[in-house]
Amino acid sequence: MTPASGVSLTGLTYRYPGARTDALDIADLHIGDGVTLVTGASGSGKSSLLRVCNGLVPHFHGGTIGGSATVCGHDVLSTATRVLATKVGFVFQDPELQSVYPTVERDVAFGLENLAVAATAMPYRVADALERTGIAHLRGRAVSTLSGGERQRLALAGVLAMQPRVLVLDEPLSQLDEDGGRSVVTILGGLAATGTAVIIAEHRVDQLARLGGRVLAMEGGHVVDAGRRTAGRLVETVSSRTPSSPRARIAWELTGVATGPARTPLLEGVSLHGREGEVVALVGPNGGGKTTLLRTIAGLLAPFSGRVHREPGRVAFLPQNPMALLHRSSVAAEVLWTVRRDPPTDDVATLLAELGLADLATRDPRDLSTGERQRAAIAAVLAGRPRIALLDEPTRGMDDAARDALCRAIQRLRASGSSIVIATHDKNLTAALADYTVAVGGRTARALAPVAVA
Amino acid sequence: MNPRALAAWSLSGITIALASGNPVYRALALLCAVNVLVALRRPEVSLRGLSIALVVAGLIAIAVTTLASHTGDHAFLVLPSAIPVLGGSLTVEAALFGASTGLGIAAAVLAAAPLSLVLTPNSLVDALPSALARTGAAIGTALNLIPGIARSATEIRDAQRMRGWRPRRVREWPDLAVPVVLTALEGSIALAEAMEARGYGSGARSHYSDLVWRWADVVVCVVAPAAAIAFVLLRVSGSIADWYPFPNVSLPPVNGVGVACCLALALPALVWRR
Repeated sequence: MTPASGVSLTGLTYRYPGARTDALDIADLHIGDGVTLVTGASGSGKSSLLRVCNGLVPHFHGGTIGGSATVCGHDVLSTATRVLATKVGFVFQDPELQSVYPTVERDVAFGLENLAVAATAMPYRVADALERTGIAHLRGRAVSTLSGGERQRLALAGVLAMQPRVLVLDEPLSQLDEDGGRSVVTILGGLAATGTAVIIAEHRVDQLARLGGRVLAMEGGHVVDAGRRTAGRLVETVSSRTPSSPRARIAWELTGVATGPARTPLLEGVSLHGREGEVVALVGPNGGGKTTLLRTIAGLLAPFSGRVHREPGRVAFLPQNPMALLHRSSVAAEVLWTVRRDPPTDDVATLLAELGLADLATRDPRDLSTGERQRAAIAAVLAGRPRIALLDEPTRGMDDAARDALCRAIQRLRASGSSIVIATHDKNLTAALADYTVAVGGRTARALAPVAVA
Repeated sequence: MNPRALAAWSLSGITIALASGNPVYRALALLCAVNVLVALRRPEVSLRGLSIALVVAGLIAIAVTTLASHTGDHAFLVLPSAIPVLGGSLTVEAALFGASTGLGIAAAVLAAAPLSLVLTPNSLVDALPSALARTGAAIGTALNLIPGIARSATEIRDAQRMRGWRPRRVREWPDLAVPVVLTALEGSIALAEAMEARGYGSGARSHYSDLVWRWADVVVCVVAPAAAIAFVLLRVSGSIADWYPFPNVSLPPVNGVGVACCLALALPALVWRR
């Protein structure tokens, strides 16, 4: 790829409408072929930088932009996103919000239709994209029935079918299981090897280590070329974990449960329990039933058969989509809304500080970055003294610092006697916190051996 | 099946159902439409709701006509004339005329129903002419948002309940309604952003599922409109007579060609397979 066909930014500044500070301030940057990993804390400007690559910033989001930006020889500032789409593929952070059509096959074809690809060529390109992303078996499925990870692969398939010269991905691994993540990394490596520029913003850098390539670290809208990839690490709290007492009281219990979100059971014969002061991690492939199991424990899903028991007390539930929770005018108001109904309460300021939200307490949750929204949602559900806390993919979109903060909050809850269940693909989080894991998949869920304390 | 052929069939069915007030033709059109729906509806579709709605609509048509029209020789009840509008004789003729009206409404609705109960919304949108392709894609996307909003409402309600939200007064419902609306708006904006990023609006579009015309589609597309046109011509020429039960109820007149035109509407159930 020649410099003219890569991404070049010179003296680029960008400010969102109504913002007081620049979201981006980049003196000089060129991104060529191969893999480029963009890292940085939540709110550091990663997503904004990615959006410059296909012109969503500034054409879709508005705001004030200065300097110059070219992508594949096109001036971003004067070329519409829909034109740049012929060269730049973009996979968004939230796969739930990018499916256009109701069936998998049809949705993958949407971009091809927009590019006016011949009808005779489309089936092959759709089939190839589905095959490469490992979801060929989902071809005829309704998008609404897919798990978060399956949707993430669908979003990638829709973009791959368009055969872009530059592929931009905003946290493509955040909802994928280990196998799914590995296969996506293989796909991205293959694309990079054939001359596609692959630009990835991702917190789970350990999985991307084998791709090699360049690392751009971002902070406050500025880019620093760090030069080498950081390895994934275990969170610091790993060594502070203490196993729960086997004599602790059972807080929740499933006995011979069959459950599922539709008319037929997704899980059958499930018998599990969790004790006070215990952390249980639900692990397994995308679509295996982790969310279904969490919702059943929460009482949001009635089982087809079997018995669900919960000790009296509040059940805190963090859904995968944090925006289902956040609707007050500020982060602090969100936390107060929960604790007003659940006395006795912790000091709200302490909880916000623990999760690194002290500076964001007065901000509207809908104005925050994805990682910041996730932390705000966690603060909102974990406030007070929940008897049981159920967290669905809590580290989605989180940087390392936020994950450490989450671990501290969960340790505090465990110490106060809460029973905690976490559905996660994050092996580091499981190793740091879980007393034991439950493998969910193959129509059942079974407890595995307790996790050894490091 | 080809969506355009089914659309041509639906239009023909509606035409026949409404072109004549004769209950025989209306009943035949209705039976043919029911046959098509039962044979070809999508597996997940239930006809229960539609059936109940049509029965209710038919009963309302009978009740309104019987209570409002006091014409006819055979009275089965006399309401005091002091009652405004309703007062007077309630006749068998008026009830039968109401039933015929209800039959026509039901036949027309059932002829249109396959467009939503046999086809998926998107296949119908895909069948729009290429000049309407962009509009069609926008409509298809909007249709896709509706179940998403319903799911979002459920998710938000569950999340709020888990935080202790127990609405007791109407004024507490905004705690659910406001986030649902905000989330729907945000979802729409995010979807628009994703569509833009995938090249929507960049120029002429092509179609993934190009319409395929099989012989059965052609047969339906030719025979059903031909039958409807023939029916209308016969009706205009007077060969197919209307039915009017007043003042004395009588059997409706029947024309053999008219019956054949109605029975032609059963063709899709014979030549198409789901």
